[in-house]
Amino acid sequence: MCQCSCNNNINLELLNPVLEHYASVKGSLITILQQAQEIYGYLPTEAIYKVAEATGNTPAKVMGVATFYTQFRFKPIGKYLILLCKGTACHVNGSETIAQTIKELLGIDDGETTDDGLFSLSFVACLGCCSLSPVMMINDETYGSLTPEKVKKIISELKNNNN
Amino acid sequence: MEQIKITINGKECICNKDEYILKVAKDNGIDIPNLCDHESVAAFGACGLCAVEIIDDGNGRKLPKLMRACATKAQYGYVVSIDSERVMRSRKVALELLMSDHEGDCLGPCKLNCPAGTDVQKYLKQISQGDYHGATQTIKNVIPIPASIGRICPHPCESNCRRRFVDQPLSIAFLKSYAADKDLEKDTFVPVCKPDSGKKVAIVGGGPAGLTSAYFLRRHGHSVTVFDSMKKMGGMLRYGIPAYRLPKSVLDREIDEIRSIGVELKNGVSLGKDFTLQQLKDEYDAVILAVGAWKSMQMRVAGEDLQGVVGGIDFLRYISSQESEIPDLNGKKVAVCGGGNTAMDACRTAVRCGADEVYVIYRRTRSEMPAEDIEISEAMEEGVTFMFLTNPAEIIGKDGNVSQINLQVMELGEPDASGRRSPVPVEGKFEYIDVDMVIMAIGQTLNNTGLDGIELTRKGTISADSATFRTSDQNIFAVGDATNRGAGIAIEAIGEARKCADVVDSYLNGSIKPYNAPFVSKRNDEDIDFTKHEKKQRIEMPARPAEERRRDFDEVNLGFDDEEKVKSEAKRCLECGCHDYDDCKLIKYANYVNLKDIRFVGKKNISPVERKLVTIERNPNKCILCGLCVRVCDEVAHKGILGFVGRGFGTVIKPEFSAPDVIADCKNCNKCFNACPTGALKLIEY
Amino acid sequence: MKIMVGQGSCGIAAGASKVMTVLQNNLSDKGFDISITGCIGMCWLEPIVDVTEDNGKLHRFVKVGENEAKCIADAVISGNFESTLSLEITDEDNSFLTQQTRIALRNCGIINPESIDEYISCGGYSALKKVIFSMSQDDVIEEVKVSGLAGRGGAGFPTWFKWNAAKQSQGDEKYLICNADEGDPGAFMDRAVIESDPHSLIEGMLIGAYTIGAKEAVVYVRAEYPLAIVRLKKAIEQAKALGFVGKNIMGSTFSCDFRIKAGAGAFVCGEETALIESLEGSRGMPRLKPPFPAQEGYWHKPSNINNVETFANVAWIIENGGKAFSAMGTEDSKGTKVFALTGKVKRGGLVEIPMGKTLREVIFDIGGGIKNDKQFKAVQMGGPSGGCIPAELLDTVIDYKKLSATGAIMGSGGMVVMDESTCMVGMAKFFLDFTAKESCGKCVHCRIGTKRMQEILTRIVEGNGRSGDIELLEELCGAIKDGALCGLGQTAPNPVLTTIKYFRNEYEAHINDKKCPAKECTSLLTYEIDSSKCVGCTLCAKKCPVSAISGTLKSPHVIDADKCIKCGQCMSICKTKAISKN
Repeated sequence: MCQCSCNNNINLELLNPVLEHYASVKGSLITILQQAQEIYGYLPTEAIYKVAEATGNTPAKVMGVATFYTQFRFKPIGKYLILLCKGTACHVNGSETIAQTIKELLGIDDGETTDDGLFSLSFVACLGCCSLSPVMMINDETYGSLTPEKVKKIISELKNNNN
Repeated sequence: MEQIKITINGKECICNKDEYILKVAKDNGIDIPNLCDHESVAAFGACGLCAVEIIDDGNGRKLPKLMRACATKAQYGYVVSIDSERVMRSRKVALELLMSDHEGDCLGPCKLNCPAGTDVQKYLKQISQGDYHGATQTIKNVIPIPASIGRICPHPCESNCRRRFVDQPLSIAFLKSYAADKDLEKDTFVPVCKPDSGKKVAIVGGGPAGLTSAYFLRRHGHSVTVFDSMKKMGGMLRYGIPAYRLPKSVLDREIDEIRSIGVELKNGVSLGKDFTLQQLKDEYDAVILAVGAWKSMQMRVAGEDLQGVVGGIDFLRYISSQESEIPDLNGKKVAVCGGGNTAMDACRTAVRCGADEVYVIYRRTRSEMPAEDIEISEAMEEGVTFMFLTNPAEIIGKDGNVSQINLQVMELGEPDASGRRSPVPVEGKFEYIDVDMVIMAIGQTLNNTGLDGIELTRKGTISADSATFRTSDQNIFAVGDATNRGAGIAIEAIGEARKCADVVDSYLNGSIKPYNAPFVSKRNDEDIDFTKHEKKQRIEMPARPAEERRRDFDEVNLGFDDEEKVKSEAKRCLECGCHDYDDCKLIKYANYVNLKDIRFVGKKNISPVERKLVTIERNPNKCILCGLCVRVCDEVAHKGILGFVGRGFGTVIKPEFSAPDVIADCKNCNKCFNACPTGALKLIEY
Repeated sequence: MKIMVGQGSCGIAAGASKVMTVLQNNLSDKGFDISITGCIGMCWLEPIVDVTEDNGKLHRFVKVGENEAKCIADAVISGNFESTLSLEITDEDNSFLTQQTRIALRNCGIINPESIDEYISCGGYSALKKVIFSMSQDDVIEEVKVSGLAGRGGAGFPTWFKWNAAKQSQGDEKYLICNADEGDPGAFMDRAVIESDPHSLIEGMLIGAYTIGAKEAVVYVRAEYPLAIVRLKKAIEQAKALGFVGKNIMGSTFSCDFRIKAGAGAFVCGEETALIESLEGSRGMPRLKPPFPAQEGYWHKPSNINNVETFANVAWIIENGGKAFSAMGTEDSKGTKVFALTGKVKRGGLVEIPMGKTLREVIFDIGGGIKNDKQFKAVQMGGPSGGCIPAELLDTVIDYKKLSATGAIMGSGGMVVMDESTCMVGMAKFFLDFTAKESCGKCVHCRIGTKRMQEILTRIVEGNGRSGDIELLEELCGAIKDGALCGLGQTAPNPVLTTIKYFRNEYEAHINDKKCPAKECTSLLTYEIDSSKCVGCTLCAKKCPVSAISGTLKSPHVIDADKCIKCGQCMSICKTKAISKN
């Protein structure tokens, strides 16, 4: 049962198939959380409590695991999730300027979402496309050899798509 | 189980094979520093303090890496160093890093700023509980004469009391004398002295410094004799401070207490006249010079040699030496030059001697005066005329007696090195006042009679080492106003004297241990939120009306009369110091590695103090993330309420996420509290 | 005719899927079969399309866009490749491949990674067969010992030793684990192998499992590699269907199940005990060693962990013999090593070479030297645990010991090339930003120490460095190396130590003169307009986001240094090169 004062619009039943499959398999906590995030787009508090109960873990332990890994989010994300690569090759090829451009364009920093709920920004260690650096990924699409101009164009196109 | 032999820091230890080195060391009485180890849970390896060097792995090889003793198993023939240079370097950096992320006060600013290091927080707590004997005992661990000191101390504790950011500082000094007075009334605290050591110490000077070193050396078990040139003990407290501030009866009573534990007091004997340093050296195992600063400084103005010009301290000493009859200054006009406490004592004494007019000549303004503010206002109430921004240019005499003083008018110029605006003469502007007596209270210094062969500073004071208190003669120590920077306040002399007593004790025991100021963790006032505290008025000390008190030398202050008010005043204490200071392993080891300052200053990981566990308050800012609470809650209490959240520098320990204020499921076993090596967990007093 | 489109992540990012669609639309109905392949490693030429004529002649088309794809389709239909000659790879670019020796990457970019048949037709799974039916566990260990294969994840620990230790550990429940949590930012060798040749990993792991006596094999893959996970899953299913994975493999008594665990984003999980914690569903905080995983690992059972590249070599070694492998390399380091060559190099991609080549050969001969003909400054090897090797050490031989002697490490294979415009203090700060963020937070030296190093480096690049900061950094580095609990912390100082060692003057310039010699640290730069070159076109003034540039049309403009945010946009838009930064 949820002990916090958050809103209760989360349909916890969606978790049941995941829990039926994994709850009794030891060592599956991360997998369960990954699937829960697939379902909700983030990890709602209620879901964390439910996972804890179903797996026989204390909420403290589940929270400890969830906050350890960068993949997990605790707030809903925007329609477009921008993963900006901060790998070494990208750094050498100017990812800092790209980061600056995005921050200025959208007014958000690493881990934040725009007020209109359209964009979320997340810095990632390395997308492994070093030869295209600097690189970013928006949802499933990869954009390489970025320049500030290119980034502006990509983002304004996405904005226009939603007007 | 196979028994093997390993060597830890040169000590051979027989132990079971595969026993952890940390445990082997502990079983053999060797303390390897550690913060995250606990017998009830598995090794964790977080703090890294227990790192040791295996200088021989049993096969003549040195292991290349430092090993964590908590997780390294003893193997046959291991030779372990727990404090090699490399180990100490790593350990010191670890502690420095921990302290750089540690937001907490080991000690309150009151204790830190008290030159004697009085445990103010503790005795205030005792006073708040009505335990005056306990409070006195606490105070007497550092101050042998609290009833006297409480009355006259300029109390740096109060000036630094954090309560001032809420409303006003606590009335710490008067609470001290209140408790000490109560203690003197009956069942007076008597310290237990160590068994007689057979060593003898001579102390020259029976003022606060001399009496304090005597008191503590006696408690250390040594035989102590105090020599003083005056008729009675007390030094400046008796002959410098007027009775209206410190009644002689109070001082007598406290000196009796010192005498009662076996300190021998010899009065009326002067160094260089009745005895020599050499004699003392021959007869005693150690000598402490606590002769004070009894020579008035001169201003070097024309006319200073006229009849009627006296030194401030000479005046005060003369007045207070009079057994019965107080000199009559009726019909006289007196000018006191200077702005310090001696000047205030002198002018107020002159008033009490019946002087018609008393002037204070001071070259700056009131706000620059070094004297206590209360002293200034009380002097004003008693009718003293303050002539600010004036400076004696010449003392004019008539028939060899003082008749007039010529004052140069001053104004304030640019701030000097001390930050005070320095006075500059207004060219050509002078004032004349008629006076019969001029008291020069502009400072005092050492009278070096009998100190031949002892090296002096450029200021003319005894040069003494700040950590060993040794003079140029290795068997002679010196403390108080007579040394180094010269005259200060009584509590400074007391603080030095107690430290000196400890040093001399170590010296008498065969190996001198210089005083080493402990490293402590401190918070910045700016980082603290004071708004959460409710405002509460400070207790006022009732005083006799000016008209009445200016006529006699009876005590000005009447003392607190309402015990409940006293207790509630003591309860205003914000308890800034850490409850765990005496048991905290973090500060213990920080001092073990002799940490002095933190070079790796940076951002701290700050989160709010909270009370989500039934009986325990958690202060994450004192947490060192050793994880003991988490592990004990999980592995021993089988509750798993606490957990790590986040990672890297931002990691914190928290009870279960988004839980209500108090967790019903906490079984209130306090196991986490007992395991915590720092003051991060605190039992809540209900 | 065989048509293959390179579909590694790089290729897809460069547009390979669109190229694939164009080819399919034009060719599928005409009976041509178009398949995918993995990554050939020539990332700078992606997307790549390989057309092999029936006579075996290979046409490799590079940088293929949708229009080029249409032309290729036409050529395929006509059978005449004259018109598309200009789209084919040049001999010079091709020398990138011909100078390599490929063992771990032997099938990458050549076969279809989603087809087990293609893998088998290249000799796949015959090593497994050989092991199961003709070699004892000790035989395998001996062969691997002869090969001199060492852990390719970075530490370079002899593989046979770990296998032997795990084999000798008592217990019937043992685990074989593959560390595919390739976390070094700037390295993508493992991803390429899994995406391009997953069966070579599976086969290597099966041989390892057989050798140590494990009945279960687990691959721990970074969650950031979705394509690798998909392809690996597919490959495991295929292997299962053919009886190579599961019960009684190839009809023998050897059984081994496979599982994939996706990581959730934590660099420290590349450390083997942290990886085990993570596999068990906990926070990835390293355990104390000993006990080592070979004694007490996954679920406290004997476990062996190797990385992807290590396993990818195993089948080859069994097939060709350990001696053939150890014939390559140096006294100390045997066989080949894969590198991800990136940064300011002309030809960036995957390079597999025998140990013993020099850095110069890799960067200049294979990589073609520095982009835009700038000056080589340093190469970063080993990522956050490694260091920067300067120009004067370019002739260093690639070998575990020789590289360690420079202060860098072999590492997992990241090789990031830097030119004169890269600030070395900034580089050290970049890595400390990374390690401080990735520190698990368990031990003091790493949790607070890396944070403090990062803070000191930050103040230096921002122009607030103090004298004594270099010494302070050095002292912190020494203590962290000694005191940190795991490899992440112990090696975190390396990027700082090597840059101080080789580029101390850059540190001093930042601290003492408040200058960044590479002109990269924005806080230390000033932009100026040369009035003799400025023609007053007003472009820069219009571009400036903070209106820091003033001037009237056709007269020289001026930058207000107080307003300037040093974004450099004016400089890039100026047509007369009148703007300079200093």
